[in-house]
Amino acid sequence: MALFSNRQRKTISTVTQIVLILMSIAVMLVPILWIAMAAFKNQVDVFQLKLFFTPTTENFKTIFDSPYALGDKLLNSTIVALITVVIVIPVATLAAYSFSRFRLLFQSAMLVTILLTQFLPAVVIILPFFVMFRDIGLLDTRLGLVLVNLAIVMPFAIWMIKGFIDGIPIDTEEAALVDGSSRLQVIRNIVLPMAAPGLLTSAIFCFIISWNEFLFALILTNKNATTLPIGLALFKAEEGDLWHLLSAAGIIIMIPMFLLSLSIRKYFVQGMTMGAVR
Amino acid sequence: MAQVVLKNITKRWDSFVGVDNQSLEIKDKEFLVLLGPSGCGKTTTMRMIAGLEEPTSGEIWIGERMVNDDLPKDRDIAMVFQNYGLYPHMTIFENIAYPLRVRGTNLDDIGPRVKKAARQVELEKLLDRKPKALSGGQRQRVALARAIVRSPKVFLMDEPLSNLDAKLRVTMRTELKHLSRELRVTTVYVTHDQIEAMTLADRVAVMKDGAIQQLGTPDAIYNDPANVFVASFIGSPPMNLINGSVSDGHFITTGGTRLVPVNVPCNGPVILGTRADDITVSDAGAGDLDVKIYAFENTGESSLLTVQWGAQRVIARGDRHLRKQQDDIIGVRLDPDHIYLFDPETGRRLR
Repeated sequence: MALFSNRQRKTISTVTQIVLILMSIAVMLVPILWIAMAAFKNQVDVFQLKLFFTPTTENFKTIFDSPYALGDKLLNSTIVALITVVIVIPVATLAAYSFSRFRLLFQSAMLVTILLTQFLPAVVIILPFFVMFRDIGLLDTRLGLVLVNLAIVMPFAIWMIKGFIDGIPIDTEEAALVDGSSRLQVIRNIVLPMAAPGLLTSAIFCFIISWNEFLFALILTNKNATTLPIGLALFKAEEGDLWHLLSAAGIIIMIPMFLLSLSIRKYFVQGMTMGAVR
Repeated sequence: MAQVVLKNITKRWDSFVGVDNQSLEIKDKEFLVLLGPSGCGKTTTMRMIAGLEEPTSGEIWIGERMVNDDLPKDRDIAMVFQNYGLYPHMTIFENIAYPLRVRGTNLDDIGPRVKKAARQVELEKLLDRKPKALSGGQRQRVALARAIVRSPKVFLMDEPLSNLDAKLRVTMRTELKHLSRELRVTTVYVTHDQIEAMTLADRVAVMKDGAIQQLGTPDAIYNDPANVFVASFIGSPPMNLINGSVSDGHFITTGGTRLVPVNVPCNGPVILGTRADDITVSDAGAGDLDVKIYAFENTGESSLLTVQWGAQRVIARGDRHLRKQQDDIIGVRLDPDHIYLFDPETGRRLR
């Protein structure tokens, strides 16, 4: 006789699933919850695991005041990430289209090389970057950061957008060519609208990567062009880490990401169902 | 309005030959069907006319102009694709209007012309929808409307009916025929379906291995095949091909039975072709030859008798009221006026 009936086995498996899911959620969400609470606590309360406390917005005021002046860093982060995205999407789209639709010389070699750049550990190339930027005066400038970020997100964007363009049926483009479009008109009238959800998704991903980029910003900036993630390092004081301020800054970093992720979800689903016409 | 002329067209990819040095003239206002099995080069031929594929060598003329170096948009053609090739982000109206819009047609003209084209394919009520809200047949109508909204010199249709289900395919075929005779525009139509070829075409070009096997009216293709391939490709069931030989002006089966008289001057081994309809079924002993039934199939409008003919099987069509059993012995008689002899080596017709 079996130890459990079929029905019991089913229940056990369901319960196990739920427990595992709850555990995963806890692992991911508890730190965020901790930060969210710490951001509104005063310094004394931070290390007590109190769920009930008098919330204060003092921390947010402090981090935007001098000496921390997180506002400047917020501005830097926004400008750098936005400009990066504005440049990377059109360039990557044209590159991805060419890779997807034309037979190019050394096509697969080029594609693999583009991918290979992603495997290079940033630490390995950061010193040459530092020396080079120092010599041409790009150290501690937003332009410098934009250039670095472009190098980081471009391969990623090309591969991602290529995937979306590959999904557009070639018939549709050929129909447009025969109907009287030039190649550029095909791209503008057919490919771009059809790939729009994909382009938006890629743009948001690129924005997030630039926004969170830490290592290059840490080494290549020190004062004028520092970004938010670097700003976090300011909260190490002689008396230890200022967790209440760190948390408040963390919230400021997370909120835009949170909103963007929400919007991605909507477009991502749309992107997947878009090519359903046959 | 224009004729299309292909002069010694070849398409090669590395060592693979898609189309092998073919010439073809499609007359003004003619409906020409390129027919053949998949991989025979028919779609490649059409794509070269469209400018979506570049010929390796040879010339393509549309009207009075050699179009080899023209982009698809400059060839004044319209094309219907197997997968419709609709623009999913545009409404049906915008889809049909696209060829007009992209060619800079006067905005006031676009509306009426789109409506007229939509009316011709019975789509007027769906103009505000997106393609994904339409059925397969309706989508194919949109593709048709988009082709006829302009008055191009040439229509190109690439297996337009093959994505539709069997029933719809028959209806759409009839509508296509009606529309094509109404519009009377030079048309090249690619298909692997011989019924479509027979019913739609003014002339059919049967292709195989990148070469045109026979070019002629549906009548000629069906009743006067140029070789074994055409004979066996056209017709349902396919033409029976019986091995044997000719001597003294008679066809002798491999079993040694002296069968029909032949009026072709030849001797030695041949392949005899005869259609199922040209074999008369009778009682045992009453025909030229007695054979055993391998399978009896009643299709409703007729009966199909597959009989064991030595080592081969041959299909005969019987009356729709005929009823026989498997393993029954029946007599068959070939119609000497409707037999075809082919050279067993080359497959060519012996005349």
